[in-house]
Amino acid sequence: MNRFHIYGAALLLFWSGMAQASTIQEASFANGVKLVVQEDHSAPVAMVQVWLKVGGRDEVPGKTGLAHVFEHMMFKGSDALKAGEYSKRIAAMGGRDNAFTSHDFTAYFETVPAKQVDTVLHMEAERFAHLSLRQKDFAKEIRVIMEERRMRTEDDPNSHMFEELSAAALRLHPYRNPVIGWMQDLEHLDISEVRAFYKQHYVARNATVVVVGDVDFKHLKHIVQKTFGAMPDVAVPPRFNPKEPEPLGAKRVEVHLPAKSPVLAITIPVPVWEPGHNDTQAAALAVATYMLSGGRSALLSQRLVKEQHKAFSVSAGYDPFGMGLDLWYAYGMLGNTQSASDLEAGLWSVMHELGTQKITPQRLQTAKRNIIASHIFAQDSLYLRAKTIGRMETVGIGAQHLDDWIQAIQSVTADDVHTVVQQFLQPKRATTGVLIPEVQS
Amino acid sequence: MRFYSPTSMFKQDKTPRHSRESGNLSSHTHWKILWLSAFAGMTKQLTLLSIPRVTKGGCLSYMLLILSLCFIPTAQATPNIQTATLNNGLRVLLVEAHNVPMVSMQLSMPAGSRFDPADKAGTSSMLADMLSDHTAQHNQQAWADALDAQAVRFGLSSSRDMLNASLTVVKDTLPAGLDILSEAILHPGWRSERFASLKSNNIAAAIKSEESANTLAAEATAKLLYGDAGYGHPVGGTAKSLQAIRMQDIQALYQAQVKPQGSVLAVSGDITLKELLPLLNARLATWQGKPKHPALQVADAPVLTAQQQHLALPTSQMLVQFSRLGIARSSHAFFPLFVMNHYLGGGGFSSKLMEEVREKRGLVYGVYSYFIPLAGTGPMVITLQTKASQAEQAIQVVRQVMQEMAEGTIDSQRLNAIKKNLTGSFAQRMDSNRERVGLLAMIGFYHMPLNYLQQWTHAVNAVTVADVQNIAHTYLHPDAWNIIQVGPLKEK
Repeated sequence: MNRFHIYGAALLLFWSGMAQASTIQEASFANGVKLVVQEDHSAPVAMVQVWLKVGGRDEVPGKTGLAHVFEHMMFKGSDALKAGEYSKRIAAMGGRDNAFTSHDFTAYFETVPAKQVDTVLHMEAERFAHLSLRQKDFAKEIRVIMEERRMRTEDDPNSHMFEELSAAALRLHPYRNPVIGWMQDLEHLDISEVRAFYKQHYVARNATVVVVGDVDFKHLKHIVQKTFGAMPDVAVPPRFNPKEPEPLGAKRVEVHLPAKSPVLAITIPVPVWEPGHNDTQAAALAVATYMLSGGRSALLSQRLVKEQHKAFSVSAGYDPFGMGLDLWYAYGMLGNTQSASDLEAGLWSVMHELGTQKITPQRLQTAKRNIIASHIFAQDSLYLRAKTIGRMETVGIGAQHLDDWIQAIQSVTADDVHTVVQQFLQPKRATTGVLIPEVQS
Repeated sequence: MRFYSPTSMFKQDKTPRHSRESGNLSSHTHWKILWLSAFAGMTKQLTLLSIPRVTKGGCLSYMLLILSLCFIPTAQATPNIQTATLNNGLRVLLVEAHNVPMVSMQLSMPAGSRFDPADKAGTSSMLADMLSDHTAQHNQQAWADALDAQAVRFGLSSSRDMLNASLTVVKDTLPAGLDILSEAILHPGWRSERFASLKSNNIAAAIKSEESANTLAAEATAKLLYGDAGYGHPVGGTAKSLQAIRMQDIQALYQAQVKPQGSVLAVSGDITLKELLPLLNARLATWQGKPKHPALQVADAPVLTAQQQHLALPTSQMLVQFSRLGIARSSHAFFPLFVMNHYLGGGGFSSKLMEEVREKRGLVYGVYSYFIPLAGTGPMVITLQTKASQAEQAIQVVRQVMQEMAEGTIDSQRLNAIKKNLTGSFAQRMDSNRERVGLLAMIGFYHMPLNYLQQWTHAVNAVTVADVQNIAHTYLHPDAWNIIQVGPLKEK
């Protein structure tokens, strides 16, 4: 083992060096639009992303899927461009465009040659302000979206189980609903609801323009002023973010579907990061989750797959950058001779081990180094860089706070890890889901 | 997500998606990967320039003046490929990139799944698992701890032609990363209890993956097009074929094919060739030999047409997969086929199939076509998923599009737009270390000329309407394609 030299705190130094090199520049406009730019002149390309503070969480009951349906409709024509024309123009300039919707945000993006950025911003602002929203386009697109749901959820027993699990785990928080929407809701959406959604949410105050690449901040400020900055200033209400009641005991869901082998999953509501308020807590949850599931020496996989053969694959995940709470999860995929109850007991036993046994300084250091290294490796992709910025802005954390997150990770102690595991990752707070294969006839 | 392309036909999805986003985060990656594999497919046909070998101590570098006519960039768009050959015959290709303090690399060896013994599909993939799991000096736990302590990302995986070892490190840990890479390749552990454990996990994963229509279609398509030949099975194997693999099989593959000659080390990142070569020589000099089977020699597969199969799966959608044989990497037909494929179904919303099947009729979320140029003749595929009751209609629309193109109906405006998209998006396809490494590995492994990036833009621009008509005539007659459907047996 002594062949592998330890490189001390070098990673943190790299991170600070890089943060210097790739400064985030910001501008706010009178109507509430925000611009965030990270210049990188290493290749003549740019990633443009327009982020909206609207997503699945802003839907009312019975209308799930609306934010995502709307995302699709953004490609169906505006005053200046007929349906489909937007993507054709982007393609013809040597670009790619797409979009994504989550509970917390909707984002539209284009990767283009850097010299095309001005044109793209004009096009984005035009469709943002003057969308067509025709009934005949909607009627076709809603069928496409139902096919998307069939492909992603109906015909995938694992996704289907996770959808049920999320719905069972939460009572108030909108993370209980699937972003793509329940099929029953999709079947009844109509164009008037899409238009109302547009009017309410697609306003300047909800928009953040993010550009990363071979661009000039001062110039972009000017362009955004002329485009997004010229839209009317419309007040927006605070976003829907109900406080989820504390769990009162363990819950359990069984999902019986045609499948080849079982899956067992645990999900637990845990806090997300609120800068300045719970830095230690959120960072400790991230470090604890890394120890359970990150890298090759991950505790869950080491114990349950490699030593005890209770599953053929296990994983856990925590997302500190959500809004209100995160549904922390762990799951295992079982072979047909392995038992779901054995795995369940095993998962809790590993979490108990993490929450009570001594954590060596090396293990703690390894977790921190790897979390920081992931942030460095993410800098390799313009897409991920812009996405991190857009996301931090849109959920209310602020892109400038990424360095604080790295600092918070660096400050976590073994006691902090014990504390959050004991406080949050407990059976009485968990909802467990099991995919039970139905016999196929 | 508005559009998400599933990955290639042999994909095995072993983990459930638990993504809060309705799109899949990886979709961005997917189109890049699909593009890259097709892009990197242009191979020897460009020129038959021999690859200049670099004598020790003198490293030639090649300035590739790509893009100079297409863009007026403020940044350098031109990846400058530097090459060297180590004394043991290993080719090294490097692109320097100093904007992020990291280094990525890929060691590609001629030991992919096409070298799996008959009835033992998954041998190469098992070898990849074993080589990344532990070594002669480190047991699994010690190895895992060592890699994580350095925050090194390291792993091996197989494709049809290659066994790939990938390494990504923060710059400062490059020496440690190279220690890890060389120990894994040069000093395998062959621990039998780990072999048994990995094998049983892979069998369980293979059974799980049979829930997916894509897995079933991929396996059936491979079998249909290639029978018992090297490309006739999924890279990861099947539950049955994995069962048959013994330790001796993976050791035999290792002994025969994991050699420096015929292999390529592709590197991109915050490093110079001058810094890199001594680090490599110090660790890889004892690795010697050439592979038993040449990297690029593959026998032709017999051609099968108009086969139809229906595999039962209790889903709401029908997966429809059209397939036929395409071209090898060395084919002169590459560029016309590449452009034609984008016109047909490889270019997302710019493509004819997307327009007819999704945009006009709302039948699918995605429909796409691709071809995979390999050392031997690779497959061509068109895939869609639709509600089972609409499958027949969707098949007819696809056949109609193919028929019209085969008969010469090519819209020159659409073709021009496709060409503009391909040439204009050239720079973004190599704007990260990860992408550059993939590209360099392809260039090196398939012996493409080092100036091929420059050639590429010209070659795409040179494809005419007549070229596309000719290639469509050769490849798109619907009756020459096979169709596999996976889904419910009867639903109208």
